[in-house]
Amino acid sequence: MALLEVDGLAFGTILDGITLSIERGERLAILGANGSGKTTLAHCLAGWLPASRGHVTFDGRAWKDWPLPRRAAAVQLVGQLPVQQLSGREFTVRDEIAFGPGNLGLPVSEVSDRTAEALELCGLAHLADRDPFTLSGGEQQRTVLAAALAMKPQLLILDEPVTNLDPSASGHVVQLVSELPPHITVVWLDTSPKTALEFAGRFILLRNGKCVVDGLPRTVLFHPESLAAIGLPPVAEAARLAAEAGLWPDGLPYPLTLQEARASFQKVKHG
Amino acid sequence: MVRADDLAFSYSPAAPLLKNVSFQVEAGKIAAIAGRNGTGKSTLLRLCNALLKPVSGRMLVAGIDTRESSPSKLARHVATVFQTPEQQIFASRVADEISFGPKQLGYSRTQIQEAVASAIDRTGLSSLAHSHPLDLSHAGRRFITLASALAMKPRLLLLDEPQQGLDAAALQKLEGILKAEKAAGVTILFVCHDMDFIARNADELLVFGAGRLLCSGAVSDVFSDQALIQQAGLKLPDSMALAQMLHLPPALSCEQLIALWRASRT
Repeated sequence: MALLEVDGLAFGTILDGITLSIERGERLAILGANGSGKTTLAHCLAGWLPASRGHVTFDGRAWKDWPLPRRAAAVQLVGQLPVQQLSGREFTVRDEIAFGPGNLGLPVSEVSDRTAEALELCGLAHLADRDPFTLSGGEQQRTVLAAALAMKPQLLILDEPVTNLDPSASGHVVQLVSELPPHITVVWLDTSPKTALEFAGRFILLRNGKCVVDGLPRTVLFHPESLAAIGLPPVAEAARLAAEAGLWPDGLPYPLTLQEARASFQKVKHG
Repeated sequence: MVRADDLAFSYSPAAPLLKNVSFQVEAGKIAAIAGRNGTGKSTLLRLCNALLKPVSGRMLVAGIDTRESSPSKLARHVATVFQTPEQQIFASRVADEISFGPKQLGYSRTQIQEAVASAIDRTGLSSLAHSHPLDLSHAGRRFITLASALAMKPRLLLLDEPQQGLDAAALQKLEGILKAEKAAGVTILFVCHDMDFIARNADELLVFGAGRLLCSGAVSDVFSDQALIQQAGLKLPDSMALAQMLHLPPALSCEQLIALWRASRT
């Protein structure tokens, strides 16, 4: 049984009959242009918004039948606006991160272990005693991510989680996500494919509230609808332009990541 | 247009955030600001619009010392687009949101209409002028805040992460607007974590880290300093990384990369 089953999901006029299933441990990226319904879909997947048609079942049970504390322990959503997600009742980053696990009624030692681990994972140890509201945008984003990780969820939904982060912090989050234990399922939502290409094994293109293409990253990215909605990552765009200029050999696939580009551009250069 | 002389700033005396910051950005240039989270990038923008004043040293904007001015006085010259549109937008109609700035500047009714219409037109919001700002997508909201700034006809435009969360089409639109403003003589200073976006759009790059300005200069020169890029937690733009691989001179966009590549083969 899949971890999450979405069947004919609609929400108002925003989502229009989405059907998909997500397996346990999968690393999935849902990509789409601004206004395509990504954030609404994220909220429905996490059980934050009720479906107006269709349903979302987690572990075989519809979200509406899950008691809130069990749902919070099972799924965590990190939204786009970190400042809206801070509890507003804690005065230090450490307490903010401990807030969720504390509410699960876990033993104090377990709460403090999880908090220390999340602080470390997200590179926040040196900010543990700061007031979350005095942090920079990127530091706040890492704080809400740490708070989600401290809940040890089975499903982690990340809605444009690196947009506020500097390149090294963003690389750090990608590494962190790739190194999560294999039983944790990750759904990553973004407007651009560049970051997700580093870890996601499956892409879905969302357009006007519908899942248009679902499959391997390469299949999805070169679909005409994806090219129009999200465009190619820069290295693939460079290869496409090279092909137009007659510099790219026929039959050599366009690279998608910088790592792939290193190999294929070397090959092209040496004829 | 912007000049910092040995500027220092801190939110609390115990923790200095910026010190010994000196740089200048000439009129009509686009300068990007990069560096790790929490190194004072957004703070620097607030020092440029006088929302914050330096603790020591000085900041000159359009020839005005910000210590002797105020945000409202400087608003005749400087407009700011903050990081999170939702925290900036307050009106219930797009057109009202955009007309707020020009009204505060004391424009006449016709001047306001003209400024708002032009800003709406330049940001492609014509069909949405009567919508509620929060009914728009993230990109729509971002362009409302940009239009609000443009309607004030600034000589200096300050943008905090303007590219953040924008899809390919919206990015292209934003880049077109930046180019048009630059061509009209507007100076632009923007904070950004997207190295590809910086390379494509900025003339100069200021890199912050460890409480100071680590480096400033032409974008391709700054990105050529690998030790600095590493120290500041930045990355090379993909076009520059590919250019290095092909032993070509620095390329600031994919188009430039291909042009250099072609030229190298003839």
